[in-house]
Amino acid sequence: MAKTPIGLEPVVGSLTSTKKREYRVTNRLQEGKRPLYAVIFNFIDSRYFNVFATVGGNRVTVYQCLEGGVIAVLQSYVDEDIRRMSLSTLNEKIHKSFVGHGDSINEIRTQPLKPSLIVSASKDESVRLWNVHTGICILIFAGAGGHRNEVLSVDFHPSDIYRIASCGMDNTVKIWSMKEFWTYVEKSFTWTDLPSKFPTKYVQFPVFLASVHSNYVDCNRWLGDFILSKSVDNEIVLWEPKMKEQSPGEGTVDILQKYPVPECDIWFIKFSCDFHYNSAAIGNREGKIFVWELQSSPPVLIARLSHAQSKSPIRQTAMSFDGSTILCCCEDGTIWRWDAVPAN
Amino acid sequence: MDDDDNNDAGEWLSEKTRFKMAQVEEKTVSSKEILSVIDSLKKQVAADRSLSVKKRLEENSKKLGGITNHLYTLSNERRSSWIGDTDSASDLLTKRQKDALGMQNGIDLSNGDDDGYSYQEPSTAVLMGSSIPVKNAVRPIKLTEVKKLPPYTTWIFLDRNQRMTEDQSVVGRRRIYYDQNGGEALICSDSEEEVIEEDEEKKEFFESEDFILRMTIKEACLSDPVLESLAQCLSRSPAEVKARYETLMKEKDVEASKNRDIEAQNWNSFLEKDLEAALDSFDNLFCRRCLVFDCRLHGCSQDLIFPADKQNPWNHPDEENAPCGPHCYRLVLKSERNDTVRSPMNPEDKSNSSSDGVGAQISSKKSARRKAKSSQSESASSNTRNLSESSDSEIRPGHEESSPTPQLSPSKNKIAGKSGILKRNSKRVAERVLICMCKRQKKMTASESDSLASGCVSPTDMKLRSNPRKQSEDATSSSHKDVKSSNTGRYRKKDWTLKGVQGEVPPNETVNDLALTSSNDFSIREEFVDENLGKQELSDDNSWKAIEKGLFEKGVEIFGRNSCLIARNLLNGLKTCWEVFQYMTGADNKLAYHAASGVLSLLEGCSKYDLNGAMGSNEVRRRSRFLRRRGRVRRLKYTWKSTAYHSIRKRITERKDQPCRQYNPCSCQTACGKQCSCLLNGTCCEKYCGCPKSCKNRFRGCHCAKSQCRSRQCPCFAADRECDPDVCRNCWVSCGDGTASLGVPPQRGDNYECRNMKLLLKQQQRVLLGRSEVSGWGAFLKNNVGKHEYLGEYTGELISHREADKRGKIYDRENSSFLFNLNDQFVLDAYRKGDKLKFANHSPEPNCYAKVIMVAGDHRVGIFAKERINAGEELFYDYRYEPDRAPAWARKPEASGSKKEDGAPWSGRAKKLA
Repeated sequence: MAKTPIGLEPVVGSLTSTKKREYRVTNRLQEGKRPLYAVIFNFIDSRYFNVFATVGGNRVTVYQCLEGGVIAVLQSYVDEDIRRMSLSTLNEKIHKSFVGHGDSINEIRTQPLKPSLIVSASKDESVRLWNVHTGICILIFAGAGGHRNEVLSVDFHPSDIYRIASCGMDNTVKIWSMKEFWTYVEKSFTWTDLPSKFPTKYVQFPVFLASVHSNYVDCNRWLGDFILSKSVDNEIVLWEPKMKEQSPGEGTVDILQKYPVPECDIWFIKFSCDFHYNSAAIGNREGKIFVWELQSSPPVLIARLSHAQSKSPIRQTAMSFDGSTILCCCEDGTIWRWDAVPAN
Repeated sequence: MDDDDNNDAGEWLSEKTRFKMAQVEEKTVSSKEILSVIDSLKKQVAADRSLSVKKRLEENSKKLGGITNHLYTLSNERRSSWIGDTDSASDLLTKRQKDALGMQNGIDLSNGDDDGYSYQEPSTAVLMGSSIPVKNAVRPIKLTEVKKLPPYTTWIFLDRNQRMTEDQSVVGRRRIYYDQNGGEALICSDSEEEVIEEDEEKKEFFESEDFILRMTIKEACLSDPVLESLAQCLSRSPAEVKARYETLMKEKDVEASKNRDIEAQNWNSFLEKDLEAALDSFDNLFCRRCLVFDCRLHGCSQDLIFPADKQNPWNHPDEENAPCGPHCYRLVLKSERNDTVRSPMNPEDKSNSSSDGVGAQISSKKSARRKAKSSQSESASSNTRNLSESSDSEIRPGHEESSPTPQLSPSKNKIAGKSGILKRNSKRVAERVLICMCKRQKKMTASESDSLASGCVSPTDMKLRSNPRKQSEDATSSSHKDVKSSNTGRYRKKDWTLKGVQGEVPPNETVNDLALTSSNDFSIREEFVDENLGKQELSDDNSWKAIEKGLFEKGVEIFGRNSCLIARNLLNGLKTCWEVFQYMTGADNKLAYHAASGVLSLLEGCSKYDLNGAMGSNEVRRRSRFLRRRGRVRRLKYTWKSTAYHSIRKRITERKDQPCRQYNPCSCQTACGKQCSCLLNGTCCEKYCGCPKSCKNRFRGCHCAKSQCRSRQCPCFAADRECDPDVCRNCWVSCGDGTASLGVPPQRGDNYECRNMKLLLKQQQRVLLGRSEVSGWGAFLKNNVGKHEYLGEYTGELISHREADKRGKIYDRENSSFLFNLNDQFVLDAYRKGDKLKFANHSPEPNCYAKVIMVAGDHRVGIFAKERINAGEELFYDYRYEPDRAPAWARKPEASGSKKEDGAPWSGRAKKLA
């Protein structure tokens, strides 16, 4: 990567833990022998804020966190061919099966403003927008300006309903806008014909293309108008996309902050944020978890979690609504539950 | 902590500064001092940066706070709106949630409720990690199985080939592979050429760097050690730093003047441009081969090629004598009882002379403008002027749009812009040679007179021209009552004088005297102008905007000297027929003037300016016109044994081991000689070339009558070309129900229809996409087809061979490839863009074959039936695998790939598993 010019250096967080909050392991369970690739809390419906789901192998399991570290298994689904899939912020029922992607799906996210819209990132180099209620594939984000390799992660902008960011194995982060195609999104809600007859549109050109990383980008999230993304460089990067109004697709990236995460140099390790984006948790290759305060400058490391028996790579973490509970799922099929120790 | 440091640094800095100020005078700034200054500035910048990041983060988090709170309310609303929802699945979840809570509290709430659930497994929640023993695990719910699609990469449908855009290239880009087994990323870049061409582009200076630069130099003065240490600090070369500093200083000054420019820019209307500027997007973005804007196949900014053959002007048989409207020149002339009306003459004869006349007209207009310009632009000698014009041409093309072009003052910009366009479209030069010539000659007069009347400022300068003219007009107006002294002309002229001179009108005589006394030369020239009645047109010209003149010129090309048609079709709403007529006749007179002053212009105009070879291309133009006439004769004598065929045959025989050649139209204006790019490249000339139709290198199409162009007897077919209605004699398209035909008189073969235009006409079979019986996806036919029937086109991105090699390596890893060799320049890649035929699988015993066919100058891949194929059958073609590279299912049980079809034009790169 090009050398950062003077005056635009990112603020790098210090790895000395402030121990602002302490966590301890309250539960640990083994789902199976297969690696678990995703774990996520439900943020859509406040009744189920303590419900989370895991994905591993061909199984999706829904759990509930109870007080005292208890985890209850609620549901479990088995599919023949879902592989390495991360659930969206969890719809608690499987509505429909969606056929269309030409290959396995790497991540699904739900639009928090309109929960029937989901967006999926796939190995077939496309990102697709679906309407869960009508089962329609509304838009396909691919083509001339699309990703050139598997798409690994995708996220809805928290307030701008038209905007999504996706990243993948072509080392880029792309920001897409569906503003011009919004009529199709609206049409999808009232579509009564067969879903396959819906005039699915291709969005071929992103509004912004960022080459922040020089390797696979495996996770990205919006932090307001900024974007958090990570590659295999042992850090999460916070940057601002600065678009040029006249020429879409062009623009510059201003890297604001960096959150170092040691021993995090394998790909497909995803981080997670709490509901208010105050903190983020990420696991690493050696089974440790780093909890960062996201919105302070310089970044503050809230806690570094480690356990003698946690040695397996942590693929994804999940932070509960207020960040008091952190779950992590590991390559060896275990789920760990960490609870914040009440400050007294 | 940072803040403290910063403050300290700030204080320290200011102290230092004071100290420095004292030092500056002695100019003994040690390098240590410089470094410390830079250091402190750097610290300041860094502190500023972290502050600004902090500020931005705070702003963002404030905004985000509102957003997440809103989301939270939304999620709470969902809770209430879903209460009472009887959806079983969500009920199940809620119930289990309660169960789990209950179990934890030791109360079993789920008693007897089981029957209410539609799910076959109403197992209750299982607690883990609590003291309650866990006996049964949750039995998972099996999801209904959805049939898995064969894998594919999302692709875009193309109905015609596209050339690869720059950003799609994989050359020079690293690609990382994830090793499924080892769990490691492999960076894949094959060999030397891949050594990354990183960061060649010039790094721009950032604001903060400018700041450091400015401040340091301000404090430590501009000296070599300062520059050096700055360069080190900014990791650039000292020269770069210095250059940047200078531009920074300049920028300050520029800023002020900028504002003024912007104001002036606003009044710029479309009509102020000349025709070429207005046609700019048409010339550069319109593809003359595909007849679409923004062509994806040939790209924009193709070389403009103007055919040497000009179409004959439109001959309009009707309305010979009927007036076209209330302003028709016929009516006006009648009313003036003018008996010298020229009836529209044989347009063909007239067109050339008239267009020349127009050239003269334009030039005179130009010079009028130039004269109107302030003296400074003219005081330079015409030679340098000429040079500057040509050098301007590179810089100026876009300038015209933005530069203010008020009617009287613009000449410099305007002309520069104009010539810029001329230069850029160098192909047009030939057409415009006459114009340029005249222009220069005119310019000569202007510049000479200007240098003579060197003291004059612009109004006076203008008077010099306008007043004598006026005078002489007064004198001559009575004698020339016919066409010349029209009301409009008068009116316009007045207007012009008014604007130009702006009230400050000295007596005519004095000015005239001044002019006469200042130089004999000058006066002679002026007389020339007067004699030839030029002045009226000059003043008249003023009402003709550049674009109108351009349109008029085109009109003459199209309609001949028919002012009615020109006015109606091209200048509708701008000029009346009468005005056009006047202008046209004015041009004739202009021509006469040129004839009169021919000696002079040759002496003084051309001899000085033929540097550019302008005269040479003038010759060329004349010659081509001559050849055109000859060409028409030749065509009649044309026989089968023409040389064009010979070269084609050769190509056919050669082609077995050699790919076809990509055709690029040549821009020859005469019959193609050894320099012709087509000839050098080994392709035939096509209808898109500049050369006349008589060119020996042209492919002449076929004369087939009954064979329907389906056998090798048809020269088109034999050359792997589709017939072209523009070129072939009998190939035509029936329209509608077949009763009417295009372009061919009906007596010629009633039932005849050319069968060799299927790609051009997109007469393809319906192809269906489905699950292959062999592997992955497959392509199927919807209807029955006969042998050698055309099925469809294999479309994709056109990529270079280098690109294809690189992509091929990537595709090989993924075990699926959609590459096809098209010709010596391009490979078709249907991986991301293509059509359904890309899914047809390989078979050693295929039922289809592919063929590269030349269609209107482009190579395209057509897929044809090798045998009769029934509806619903899967399509296969032979990818021509190298024997060892074919996937297992594609191999023949016996010896593989021994059967080679002769004459197959493409070697298969393609290889796929999908």
